[in-house]
Formats: sequence, structure tokens, C-alpha cells
Amino acid sequence: MSANATPIVEASKLSRSYRLGEAVVPAVQDVSLAIAPGDFVALRGPSGSGKTTLLNLLGLLDRPDAGTVRVEGRDGEALSEEARSDLRRDRFGFVFQTFNLIPVLSAEENVSYPMALAGVPAAERRARARELLSSVGLSAKFGVRPDLLSGGQRQRVAIARALANGPAVVFADEPTANLDSHTAEEILDLMRGINTSRGVAFLFATHDALVVSRARRVVTLHDGAVQSDAAA
Amino acid sequence: MSAFALAWRNLVRQKRRSFLMIAVVTFGFAAFALAGGFIAQSFEGLKEGTIKSVGDLQVVDRRAVGKAEEATLEYGLPDATRARTLAAADPAVEAVLPRIDFVGLATTGSKSVPFLGVAVDPGPEAAATLAPELIVSGKYLTGDGGDGVVLGTGLAAALNVKPGQRLTMMATTPDGSLNAVDGVVEGLADVRIKELNDRYVAAGIGLVSRLLQSGNTVSKLVVFLKPGADENRAAERLGKALAGGGYTIVVRHWRELATFYEQVKMLYVGIFGFVGAVLVVIVVLSAAIVMTMAVTERTREIGTLRAIGTRPSGILKMFLAEGVVIALAGCVAGTLLALVVRAVLNASGIVLPPPPGATHGMPINVKIYPLAYGAGLAAMLLTMGIASFFPARRASRIQIVEALAHV
Repeated sequence: MSANATPIVEASKLSRSYRLGEAVVPAVQDVSLAIAPGDFVALRGPSGSGKTTLLNLLGLLDRPDAGTVRVEGRDGEALSEEARSDLRRDRFGFVFQTFNLIPVLSAEENVSYPMALAGVPAAERRARARELLSSVGLSAKFGVRPDLLSGGQRQRVAIARALANGPAVVFADEPTANLDSHTAEEILDLMRGINTSRGVAFLFATHDALVVSRARRVVTLHDGAVQSDAAA
Repeated sequence: MSAFALAWRNLVRQKRRSFLMIAVVTFGFAAFALAGGFIAQSFEGLKEGTIKSVGDLQVVDRRAVGKAEEATLEYGLPDATRARTLAAADPAVEAVLPRIDFVGLATTGSKSVPFLGVAVDPGPEAAATLAPELIVSGKYLTGDGGDGVVLGTGLAAALNVKPGQRLTMMATTPDGSLNAVDGVVEGLADVRIKELNDRYVAAGIGLVSRLLQSGNTVSKLVVFLKPGADENRAAERLGKALAGGGYTIVVRHWRELATFYEQVKMLYVGIFGFVGAVLVVIVVLSAAIVMTMAVTERTREIGTLRAIGTRPSGILKMFLAEGVVIALAGCVAGTLLALVVRAVLNASGIVLPPPPGATHGMPINVKIYPLAYGAGLAAMLLTMGIASFFPARRASRIQIVEALAHV
């Protein structure tokens, strides 16, 4: 599916390094990568290989030292912070290892929040949030706050939130790391189902062999560089 | 969900800290409202008392402005009866009181004390001013005053005289000769400024005219206006009417004459300003610390909000909204606190020490002064805005990836 489609996100010769005391540590070096509609990609590699850094660069959460990230043809580095925020809000979804839900908001409000940022009317927000929560199996948890949900339920809310504004791609950083294997499998099934039914691309940064086994494409990083990029 | 609704939820989440911050604002606001009400009440009382003493306006000969009191009759208003009639014809005028300011020496034969005197038309003077209320022994002047005099209690003590006893007043006439008249002490007045109380003499115009050989000349006309009258317009009309009558006069406003009022007002404004500044600094520092802690604790949350599309300006707005909500909640609680404290203070009967130069303390009386409450609200909103702005700006500028990795 990905080979001939126009990329949603296209990185070209990305480099990013961090300063650690006096030392400069290269995290990503000269990486080029494209994510096409419908992709289901696992970024794998040992700790420190640059998975999360690359995910952050592709998701416009960070800026590279060199290289470019184009989102549906637009140069992400040329955009202001406000414009990058709008692009993340409208075209990207994010799922984090620690769920990162807003603790003072209910499940429904967490899902509604990105829609409110996009100016979706309240009634439509409510209906869509409920539909998304139902689609991830949380129809009985609309009004429940995150601290009363299990880890798996929280990640389901996070997935529903990521889908709120109909993104082209969801970036998931170690989405199963805080879940038991059974729940992790359920979450992956859910994501795979969304990928198939809605055509939303997923890009995972992961150590988890289970995630890698479910991916249709696996990109292996080593010392910040792409070692291999192949269909699974 | 609006920024304010989210701010409220976050404040409720941090109950203890929010309560502490709201308490700081509550006390700050209540202090503003109470101090403002007390000072406004004091100013109004002082203003009323001042106007009761010096009138709304005074008409004097142009040449007398800036001259010492002993010289004022030299440049007095001649034909005072006609001038008084002209002034009284103005529709805004309630009363016109002639006065002569003079100085001299009072003696009982065994003891002599210098005095500051004022000659008055007793009937209208008693009706328009607080003079009769100052009497603590004997009575105020009646009729045209006759030979009666009223002495300050300090002067009476110095002369060792009581109501009913006689004394002699000596003074220099405008042409420079020395003259004396005998008078009878009608009453003793407790003039509330100590220095004046030790020198105060009031007598009828007739007696003083005989003493000064001044005929129908007075130092000034003291004009009281009807309630709600426009002071400036009335002054303008009086000036024209008297100039038309051939008088070379100026009309002076009570503020120009009441240096004491302005001094006390400046003192209060200074004290209130200082206390207000201290309050603002305390609230700003407390709020800045609380907001900085909130930003630090919620760094990861800020990273998440930024990641899912909240603009930097949205983060700034969210924390500013928390500051505003704290300010509003504190002001509501502060209003209730101020009303309770006001009721307790007003019922307490506490008498405050006398203001500078006065002999009598003031019973504490805190008024509900809407302007003070409004100023308190504005001050607390501004203060919380300033205190929240810098932590909020820091939050809006946090690097997303650093915020997401924050532990």
C-alpha cells in the first residue's frame, strides 16, 4: 500500500543531536523516511537508537538540526509554532507510553479536547467523542476520569483522543510498554482494526516484539541511522 | 471546554494550594475594601467639617489674598451689608456670613494672653456652621452677639475665666492705633485643633467693629451653597455680581483655604498607598510562587497539550485563566470577609487616635464604598495577572519533547 502512495510525512536527511554536559550525542543521523496513507510501521531498535527522537521529529514535536520534514507536501520547518500546532491537531494523533490523559477531564472530555481546539461545535464534539469511545469499547466510561480507569482503558481513551480530528497518521511511542501482554494484544488489535477500517496510518516506536510482529513494515534503527526498512 | 472551566478544574485538583492562594487574595481584597471604605469615610467627614468651617466659597478683597491676618482688614470688604445682599441674591447660595479675622490680647487684669479672633453674625453662623456644637460650657452667642465672647477652652484655662466672667480685648485698628473693649464670656468652645483652641475667640461683628473701629468693613464673606449646587458656576456668578457692584474681589474655593484637609488627605493617601503596595507585593510573590509550582508540576501535561495541538498562546491563556479565577474567587470571599469585619468594627465602638493637629479621636466607622471594592477587584485581577503571566509564558515556551520527558 505504501510503495506508490503520496507520503503523509516525508523526512529527508534528518539529523538531531543532544548536548549531554560537554558532549554532543547524535540521536538521529541523516535519516530519510516516508510514511504513506494506511501504513502500519514499527520503528524498532535498541535503547538509545533514536526511535523516540525520530518519532518526535516526524510528529513535529521537535525540530531537526539538519534535514526537512514535509507533511502532505508542506515543509514543517518553515512553519511557525502556531502553524505546527494546528497541523498536529488536524493531521496527527499521538499515543504515549504513559497514556498522558488530562487528569481533570473525563474520558469523553479528553477525547473532545482536540476537537474543541479545532473549533468543532459542542454537540458534534460530544457525539463524535462518544462514538469514538464506543468504538474502542468504552461506551460505559464516558464520564469517568482517567484515575479510575485501568491502564488498558486509559490507552483506549488515548487512542480515541488520537482519532478525534480524523488524523492521517497516529504516532505511538511504546504504546504497549505499560500494559500486560493480554491488554497489549487487545490494544494492538484495536489499532490494527482502525488502520484497516479507517485507513489511518500508524507509526510505532517500540521495543516490543509483539508490536513488531503485527507491523506491516519494520524500520530498524541503529545508532540513529536506518539499518533496514522492509515489509514484514 | 473553556479555558476558565479547565482552570477551575485544575484549581479544584490542587485544593490545598488553591485554597491558600485564594486566602491570600481574600485578605488582600478585604484589606483594600476596608481601608478604602474607612479612608473614604474619613475624607467625607473631613470635607464636610472643613466646609462647615470655611464655607464652600469665600469672597475677599483682591488685595487681601496672601496677606497676614492682621492686615486683612486693611484690605477688607467695605460696605459689607450691600456685598452680602448681592451675594445672597444668587439662586445657588444658601447663606452668606460676614467674618472679621483679627488678632489681639485678651486680659483679665491679672493675666494677658494673645488670641486669634473671629467676628461673626451669630444667628446665621450658628445655623450654617458647627460652632454651637463646639460649646462645652455656657452657650453660643445669640442675637447680634452684644458684648458676649466665646473662648477656646485652652484660652479660657490660660486666662482662668469661666462663663459669666468679664475680660478685656485689646487690638490694633487698621489705622495703627490701639483700642480695647470689654466683653463677657458667654461660652467655652472645644475647638478640635489644639493650637487654635489655646488662642480662639469668637465675638459678634458689632463688638469687634467697635474694637477695630472698622465700621461696615469685614475681612470676608463666607458663602454656603445649596446642596448639589455647582461650585464653579456659583463662584463665577458671584464674582460677576460683586464686580458689577463695584467690588474688587476674588472668590476662593474651600480647597484653596483648607490646607489642613489637603495635608491630612495626603497623609492618608500616603499610608494607604504604602499599605496597598505592600499588599500587592505579598500577593504577587505568593501567586508567582504558586503558579510557578503549578507549571513545574504540570510540565508533562503541558507537553501533552502542546503535542495534541494546543497552541503556545492556548497554554498561556490556560494559566492566566487560573490566575483570574483565583482573583475572582478571592474577591468574592474577600467581599464577604470585608462585610463581616466592617460590621464587627463599626459595632466595636473603637475610637481612633486624633489625626495630626486635632484634639479628638474619631470613632471607627467603615463605610461600604463601592469604589474601594472596585479598586480592590481591579488590583487583585491585575496582581494575579502579573503574577501568572511570567510562569504562564514560561509554560507556553516549554519544549514539547522536554516536557513530555519531564518526571
